[in-house]
Amino acid sequence: MTSPMSPEKFIVPIGPQHPALKEPGHFEFTVNGEIVTNASARLGFVHRGMEKGAENRTWVQDLYLMERVCGICSHVHAMAFAIGVEQLAKVQAPPRAQAIRVLIAELERIHSHLLWLGVAAHEGGFDTLFMYSWRDRETVMDLLETISGNRVNYSANVIGGVKIDINDAQKDALHKGMDFLEERTRHYYKVVTEDETFLGRTRNVGKMTFEQAEFLGAIGPTGRASGLQRDVRVDSPYAGYPQFPVKVVTATAGDLEARFVVRIEELYESYRLVREIIDNIPAGELAARVPRRIPEGETISRVEAPRGELLYFLKSNGSDKPERVKVRTPSLCNWASVLVTAVGHKLADMPMILAGIDPCFSCNDRVVTVTDHSNSNQMSWEALRQYGIEFYK
Amino acid sequence: MGLEDDLKLAESLLEKITISTSRPEENRVDIVIEAASIKTAAKILLRDGNWGYLSAITAMDSPEYSIDETTKEKKLIPGCGNVEVLYHFCRGAAVATVRVSLPYADPSIDTICDILSSATLYEREAAELLGVVFRGTPNTDRLILPESWPDGVYPLRKAFTSLKDIQTPEEGVCS
Amino acid sequence: MANIATAVMDNLKTWARVNSPWAIHFNSGSCNGCDIEILATLTPRYDVERFGIKLQGSPRHADVLICTGPVTLQARDRLVRIYEQMPEPKFVVAVGSCGISGGVFQGCYNVVGDISEVIPVNVYVPGCPPRPEAIIHGVVELLKSLQK
Repeated sequence: MTSPMSPEKFIVPIGPQHPALKEPGHFEFTVNGEIVTNASARLGFVHRGMEKGAENRTWVQDLYLMERVCGICSHVHAMAFAIGVEQLAKVQAPPRAQAIRVLIAELERIHSHLLWLGVAAHEGGFDTLFMYSWRDRETVMDLLETISGNRVNYSANVIGGVKIDINDAQKDALHKGMDFLEERTRHYYKVVTEDETFLGRTRNVGKMTFEQAEFLGAIGPTGRASGLQRDVRVDSPYAGYPQFPVKVVTATAGDLEARFVVRIEELYESYRLVREIIDNIPAGELAARVPRRIPEGETISRVEAPRGELLYFLKSNGSDKPERVKVRTPSLCNWASVLVTAVGHKLADMPMILAGIDPCFSCNDRVVTVTDHSNSNQMSWEALRQYGIEFYK
Repeated sequence: MGLEDDLKLAESLLEKITISTSRPEENRVDIVIEAASIKTAAKILLRDGNWGYLSAITAMDSPEYSIDETTKEKKLIPGCGNVEVLYHFCRGAAVATVRVSLPYADPSIDTICDILSSATLYEREAAELLGVVFRGTPNTDRLILPESWPDGVYPLRKAFTSLKDIQTPEEGVCS
Repeated sequence: MANIATAVMDNLKTWARVNSPWAIHFNSGSCNGCDIEILATLTPRYDVERFGIKLQGSPRHADVLICTGPVTLQARDRLVRIYEQMPEPKFVVAVGSCGISGGVFQGCYNVVGDISEVIPVNVYVPGCPPRPEAIIHGVVELLKSLQK
């Protein structure tokens, strides 16, 4: 099934809103000519009321709820939640479970980075790269399905450990998959660092300095692309990361190109880690017993999601339902830093800059309001994306 | 610097404005301050002391309950309680939580956006969901609740159950 | 004579619609799990375009609305407006368990739940998320029902 997809044949459903609809903009850019002078965001189209919902569900039910904060990184959400509850209960998940948690987290990182690579490429008009990366991503989707039974929402976590195990056949498949993906990733690395058209959209674009990144609290690959040595897996290792450490991947340029390079290099680290885990996975139980009522207390659980630091604050009142569940997603942090750094850049760079922080894809129907001193004008996301592509032709 | 050093550093930097401090977990310090000191705390940790970065702001409802003498059932005393605001700062593995308590009658606190502009999203969220008023915050537009959401209804307060059940709060007798 | 002409035109219209439906996608507040599986249907492994299904951007040109999510209060008005902008005849495919009952979000304060409380739904594709084959199957079932 490798029919060539010519770009005119389809439009990826990111943000096609008819410009005539007078909606409050999701993003508002104020421009002076071509230069952005102010940027703000309006979120809320995906606000479901989960934190409140969590208070009316048991700890176990909440595991399934928190998995669905985000379909792209559902495992890290469930893992952060489970680890938090285990901290409150003063129970440790057994070593084999912690290793499997890391294994799945890294496979999730791989699928997420490849997904992002395709979507970001599409934002810049590079649809062939989108098609190739998503085709290759199917390899990791298959692996996750083989291990967990589902392509998305693997539901591997239980409070106290995991509920799925790895056998030898799966280990073989994982090795083969990592080998294939590593070879494909080398190809993407070349495109991202050598293709002139690509570099025209990414080199020196959307720069965030080290000082800005540090001060604004930039996290994840966005922060690391500006040189920040910040990665929760290394700063505050959790689950199986003490036994299977990772290297922090950084770049110094702080521009869009650096954000691409960091994520691709993180893929190499993930491939390495997956191989290491399956070759050295400790024997033992898959889960520890945790009581239904969780002792009173407060806890904080931090994990490194593909987009950056994810923080959970949990408070228990001693019952089988939480008193408070607070989730601070990495995207919220990243929005904040990018809105500040958008100022001074060209409007035509906005689609790529926003894609460059790997925003939670969920704001599909993004409407953009562009205001300059003479008039105010609403654009659909698709129109802004096309504007960027045309600008750089 | 190790974890213990980082935690001790946070405690000593904020000593002058600390009401009480505790270590709820081995990697965490929890420091209670007056609401009036929040700008000072943010300035010390983020600027002067360069201690770490602001990772999140958790706002939490802390309502008052009455306990029925016979049934032992807990009931909310309407209109009585506090909102706690927790500012979580991170440095490596260490987490320093700066905690303030704001009464329902006046749940206001200074913004820290003049110190850290990116805090605006966290402040807007706490304002909408729990009714915290951040004095001087640059943007009070709705962030996550829909435009149609009624003013003055804070969904994360325990008294809120659903949009269909909104009652005008009777004032209970607060302690 | 007029009846036969109408019947032929109807058949032609049905055939044209069935063989080349233009679809629009809308996320009414989903976690994105369903949306990435819908997107996957465009990519080489599933290649939904070979069935003649074209995913494009404007409601005014769409025959089919593919909708995900439990309809947040914020998204509800926009969903209605998109539906109203579509020309007749129009059809709705609700992808994912959220669109059936709210899924895990049932009862949450900012969520409607069942998409059919907001706009009529022709096909539901259950799953959390449904895999791309299931989504394609749902759309094909819709097309087959139009042939009758």
